[in-house]
Amino acid sequence: MENIIEISHVTKDYGRGRGVFDVNFFVREGETLGFLGPNGAGKTTTIRQLMGFIRPDSGKLSVMGRDCFKEADKIHALVGYLPGEIAFIDSMSGMDFIRFVADIKKMNGLGRAQELIEMFELHASGKLKKMSKGMKQKIGIVCAFMNPDTQVYILDEPSSGLDPVMQNRFIDLVLNEKKQGKTILMSSHMFEEIERTCDRAAIIREGKIVAVEEMEKLQAGRQKMMEVTFASSDMAKAFAGEIHGAQYTEGARKVSAKVGKELDTFVKKAGRYTVTDWNVQTQSLEEFFLHFYGGEEGKV
Amino acid sequence: MNITLLKKEIKSNWLLLIIFLAVLTMYGVMVTMMYEPELGESLKMMAESMPEIFAAFGMAEVGETLLEFLSGYLYGMLFVAFPGVFIIILTNRLCAKYVDNGSMAYLLAGPGKRREIMRTQAIFMAGCLVLMALYVFGLLAVTSKILFPGELDMAGFFYVNVGLLGILLFFGGAGFFVSCLSSESRHAVGFTSAVVVYTILVQMISQVGDKFENLKYITPVTLFDVEGLSLGEAKAWIMCAVLYLTGIALICAGIVKFDRRDLPL
Repeated sequence: MENIIEISHVTKDYGRGRGVFDVNFFVREGETLGFLGPNGAGKTTTIRQLMGFIRPDSGKLSVMGRDCFKEADKIHALVGYLPGEIAFIDSMSGMDFIRFVADIKKMNGLGRAQELIEMFELHASGKLKKMSKGMKQKIGIVCAFMNPDTQVYILDEPSSGLDPVMQNRFIDLVLNEKKQGKTILMSSHMFEEIERTCDRAAIIREGKIVAVEEMEKLQAGRQKMMEVTFASSDMAKAFAGEIHGAQYTEGARKVSAKVGKELDTFVKKAGRYTVTDWNVQTQSLEEFFLHFYGGEEGKV
Repeated sequence: MNITLLKKEIKSNWLLLIIFLAVLTMYGVMVTMMYEPELGESLKMMAESMPEIFAAFGMAEVGETLLEFLSGYLYGMLFVAFPGVFIIILTNRLCAKYVDNGSMAYLLAGPGKRREIMRTQAIFMAGCLVLMALYVFGLLAVTSKILFPGELDMAGFFYVNVGLLGILLFFGGAGFFVSCLSSESRHAVGFTSAVVVYTILVQMISQVGDKFENLKYITPVTLFDVEGLSLGEAKAWIMCAVLYLTGIALICAGIVKFDRRDLPL
């Protein structure tokens, strides 16, 4: 498979440790790559360079073999881009803006805009200035996805501001594009979104790529914080004795433990006692990755 | 050129242009109407009573003919300052504002090059300024024809307006250049205002008295020699050409700089 997006040894130094340093990864044809990292780690800086808005100090970025800065216009013709900080021309109505972007993209008509508007239950007739964050995000999604000729999607936190129902529809939309062989790079904070859509994930921290891994491999290592409350403190104590690494305070009825692959055993062991409450806390994506790749946990 | 963008700019800025044309119309017609012998006398008396203030506004040596009257009272100050404000607002809107709020990402979302986008903006701005100069020329030519038929030296008056377009292009070029480099609206507005206010203020001071006369060499408005142009003097034309060329050079430099810069989008 051909690499559609290639980023090799890219450095953009903004001074005082800000920027990206020697960033190196690629996205294969038809692949969806999740781009993860805490705020300020350099996700947007990398994406801006891919779109040709900023020029790297050193290194090379290309999309479909074209240089991202010098041939930005040719790349823009092929790419559906959703900026991280969405901003429109406030004086326009939503529909006027969608039409304007379609014209700027030199599309014939509005492409799939109507279909997307219905999918996201968007009311696009109002003025953009008056729209909520979620509504604006939907307009951004329509603009990024409406051109049927788009081959590559570059999405910067695409589902931020959407409610859970719409987040699910967005995942469906991405999966559908993926089925059609489109290549997608997206940054995100939502575990589910990445888990359900991405083949691989690149993790960036303090401007440096710390890992690029297959999703399956990452999922295998993922842990959940279980917090089980038992009917009596005796039960809790006995149960804590059975589980390796369990946290238990003498006299309490609560036992908590980090559970990964041994989930089934954990549940069955707990089942032998009377359980009155059960809390599951899934690690956030960043927590999980940084824990795995040498981040200091308190710093996340 | 990007027709979609041009249409958008016309749609968002026509009202601004109309407002400024209306202001210019008001002042233009009012001043032309004052060219009554008696009113002219009283203006002259006023001028004699406070010569410094009139001098500052370039109205010191207003002569007898309608052309001298108009160029003295309008082109020395009002018709430079008001379009200056228009230029401050417009140049910000054409580039810096899009970069500041991030919507430039969408202007660049299509297959258009950055250069093409900014060339469109430059053409739009130049179009507005040409329209403005043509409009005031037409307005005052017609008003004079109706009120004082045969009084206005049309050729001379046309030359003055050619010069006016020169100073407007100069301001426009400066504003456009700054706007292309700015990531924030307030920087674009700030610097352009500084240029406009500085040039006009220095010119005003330089006209007040001999003590400050040399200040005229550090303001570009001096290159707009209203009297020289109306008389068709070669030196005035050369200075006028300098204004045009500087304005155009600044616009081109803005486009080139914009093409190469980092955009925070």
